[in-house]
Amino acid sequence: MIKLSNSKLLSIASLVLILVLVARTLSLALMWFLPSEGVSLHIQPNFQPKYQRVDFKNMLTPIVKKVEQKQVSTSDGGISITNMVLKGLYGTKTSGFIIVALKATPKKTTILSIGEIFSGYTLKEIENNSAIFTKDGTRFTLMLENAKKTASALKQSKQKRSVSNDNEPISQQVVTRGDITYYAKHPKQIWKEISIREVKDGKQIKGFKVTRIAPNSKFATMGLKKGDLIVKANNVELKSYRDALNIYTKIDKVDEVQIVIIRNGVEKEIVYEIN
Amino acid sequence: MVRKIFKFFAYTLFFLAVLIYFTPKVNLYYLLEHKLKEKSIVINDEEVSDNGLSLSIKDATINLKSIQSAKIKEIKIKVFGLYNNVSLTDISLASVVATMVPTKIQSISLSYSVIDPLHLVASAVGEFGDAHLSFGVVDGVLHMELHPSKKMLSSYRQTLRNLIKSKEGAYTYDKTFKF
Repeated sequence: MIKLSNSKLLSIASLVLILVLVARTLSLALMWFLPSEGVSLHIQPNFQPKYQRVDFKNMLTPIVKKVEQKQVSTSDGGISITNMVLKGLYGTKTSGFIIVALKATPKKTTILSIGEIFSGYTLKEIENNSAIFTKDGTRFTLMLENAKKTASALKQSKQKRSVSNDNEPISQQVVTRGDITYYAKHPKQIWKEISIREVKDGKQIKGFKVTRIAPNSKFATMGLKKGDLIVKANNVELKSYRDALNIYTKIDKVDEVQIVIIRNGVEKEIVYEIN
Repeated sequence: MVRKIFKFFAYTLFFLAVLIYFTPKVNLYYLLEHKLKEKSIVINDEEVSDNGLSLSIKDATINLKSIQSAKIKEIKIKVFGLYNNVSLTDISLASVVATMVPTKIQSISLSYSVIDPLHLVASAVGEFGDAHLSFGVVDGVLHMELHPSKKMLSSYRQTLRNLIKSKEGAYTYDKTFKF
């Protein structure tokens, strides 16, 4: 009888077993030094209220007269919607308020919320640039006064831009859709004309600093200066590249972009009207 | 003597195969994730599974600096030492880059083997056409050859201007990296 311990098969099997054990021990030892959890991205929702500029000077004076105005409006149902001017709006489709006036008395403004009546017209919805009224089952759209700006008005605002004072806390700029389309198609051109880098407060991004603007470029005429720290855009604090990109991707859908910059330690607002 | 050498190689290969099988590939992947995070790259929403000799990652979202940059249906990583391969299939790039390149890529395959130990090679097929890439691990030279599709030629001329056109109609790109 052949002894089992002398069997060739047993020696191979034992050697294989030893190799398996060594491999398993090595893998367990390796596992000890490796992380047991991966990395996942948690994005904190960045609150982005709908942005719409409103002339608050107009809002303050008519509040006292609101009740009186309402009484007049309900009795006076014969005014055409073409005689009305939409001075400002704030809100979404189903909530918010608008500021309206009659063309004859543009300074005498009224604040209306959804469902309220002005000159016989019931406010139904608020859109980006317009308010929807109904009267006798017919829908009427009243465009925002600013959205109706003609080319001449545009020229005027461009002139206003050129004389705008650098010390003013708010400055208004005009950008054309054509410019936006051009830069979307030629993104390299953006970085030829402007350089921006993140500024961190510890690990957290606190804004994006303009480090270079090419002279005689489009960006040089947009009110930004070297050293400006952009901290907000359309009410959103720019705490990540994602926040900045969200503004960029939505730029086709907005008519106005507001940015808050810190220049020489002073906060300044620049509003870009997209025409 | 030959028999002994054969036995030695047989046992070595067996040991390597067992070692690869037991290697905690998922944990190694987590380590890779931590290293990528240092470069502001985060892979999210993925389903990682150890398939014995390879690692499979499904439905991964690639975030670069917290910006969703690409979605990949499947990534397969095979590390055998002598031959290593990473293959990516069904890739959708973020719409942000749509103005620069077509966003759909069918597959990307990266390989490194002992047959050509000085080069890491890659090939990709997608809406842009097909591309072949080689990277010298010692000299740091990157060479890419692109055979653009009709779509790439007609709609992405601006991007192609950054590449050098060869006589054969291919577009090449060369860059040297300093380590």
